[in-house]
Amino acid sequence: MKLIFTLLLLISISYASVVDEYLVTLGAQAKVENPNFKGFDAKRGEIIFTSKHIGKKGKEVSCVSCHGDDLSKASKNFFTAKEIEPLSPKANPNRFSEVKTIEKWIRRNFNDVYNREGTTLEKGDVVTYIINK
Amino acid sequence: MKSLILITALTCAVFAGSFNKAGVAPVTNELYKKECGSCHFAYQPGLLPSKSWDKMMLNLSDHFGSDASLEKEDYDSILGYLRKNSAEKFMNYKRSARIVNSLRAAETPESISKTPYIIKKHKKIRADLITQQEVKGIFNCTACHTTAQKGIYSERDILIPNFGKWED
Ligand code: HEC
Ligand code: HEC
Ligand code: HEC
Repeated sequence: MKLIFTLLLLISISYASVVDEYLVTLGAQAKVENPNFKGFDAKRGEIIFTSKHIGKKGKEVSCVSCHGDDLSKASKNFFTAKEIEPLSPKANPNRFSEVKTIEKWIRRNFNDVYNREGTTLEKGDVVTYIINK
Repeated sequence: MKSLILITALTCAVFAGSFNKAGVAPVTNELYKKECGSCHFAYQPGLLPSKSWDKMMLNLSDHFGSDASLEKEDYDSILGYLRKNSAEKFMNYKRSARIVNSLRAAETPESISKTPYIIKKHKKIRADLITQQEVKGIFNCTACHTTAQKGIYSERDILIPNFGKWED
């Protein structure tokens, strides 16, 4: 019983740590880039996530265009109409479980919305916003 | 009996060197399904010749205006899968054969919906049924072809959103 409990605890710790570790790494990098860096901010992240910009396709879009207003619900891809599973890790445990996947989509999606890659600060802020919403 | 044998023999002769399978070969590669099936359904490699896949894969960071770039190892593996399963290698499948045969020799179509065969097949559909929210474009095969995931595109399996079954 104790063994099972320990195992479960270990699993949940290692699971939670993927995105936490990712944010720690980003934080360390942000500190190097700007010694005054005080930590990531969900409020700034919200603006990054909800504000509209002329994206790569020349259309005005935001992260909300594809992921919806309610991150605990499935949404539809703005360009292709394909369903997208909820972005919130609270609603969808598959989210934020692999750094490679997080990095890939953050890179692609910043390009789609901002027509450039995100800075370290922007990436940390927006991820902080998503996981806490 | 004799005539039955004759008919069978004739049928075989007609189909020899031609397709003997309906539709297009289904997708079998899990990495391909995951990576090329995240923004739209995973198109069967047998819907385009390898020269088209090669061209598309050269510019994934500007893939129809979207960023679809991949890590090197995934890129190599997916390109290999597309090349091995492209339309001209599966001419025993009806749709692959039809698509390849509709191309001019020097033609490298940029998408499936730009191949002459697919253009011709969709000419009669009203424009507003194609541009509507639920479909958005001919690229969205699964919106109308209910069995597209299985590689089956026959007329009886078509259900157009806000329109219904297609009776030609
Ligand atoms: C054009 C549509 C589109 C836009 C705009 C968009 N995304 Fe995405 N996003 C996707 C798709 C598609 C996926 C992957 C689908 C899936 O995994 O179900 C995804 C996945 C993600 C993930 C993956 C998390 C994980 O680990 O699974 C994150 C994080 C993300 N998006 C953040 C953003 C942010 C931040 C923005 C705004 C800068 C944004 N997205 C804008 C379509 C979009
Ligand atoms: C980030 C999102 C995204 C990813 C990932 C993606 N695509 Fe696409 N793809 C699109 C968009 C957007 C279109 C254009 C749809 C339209 O015509 O409006 C498209 C169109 C296509 C078309 C043309 C469909 C037609 O009209 O005939 C093919 C073929 C295609 N993609 C194959 C692939 C392959 C192969 C991969 C994997 C290497 C891939 N896609 C990954 C977004 C994506
Ligand atoms: C707007 C709905 C719609 C979309 C989207 C669509 N199709 Fe079709 N498709 C049709 C209809 C309707 C027909 C029948 C047209 C006719 O024969 O008059 C058809 C016919 C076909 C046929 C010939 C079927 C036959 O029995 O002759 C093929 C093959 C095909 N479509 C493939 C595709 C592929 C591949 C895609 C995606 C790249 C696609 N379609 C997207 C509606 C659609």
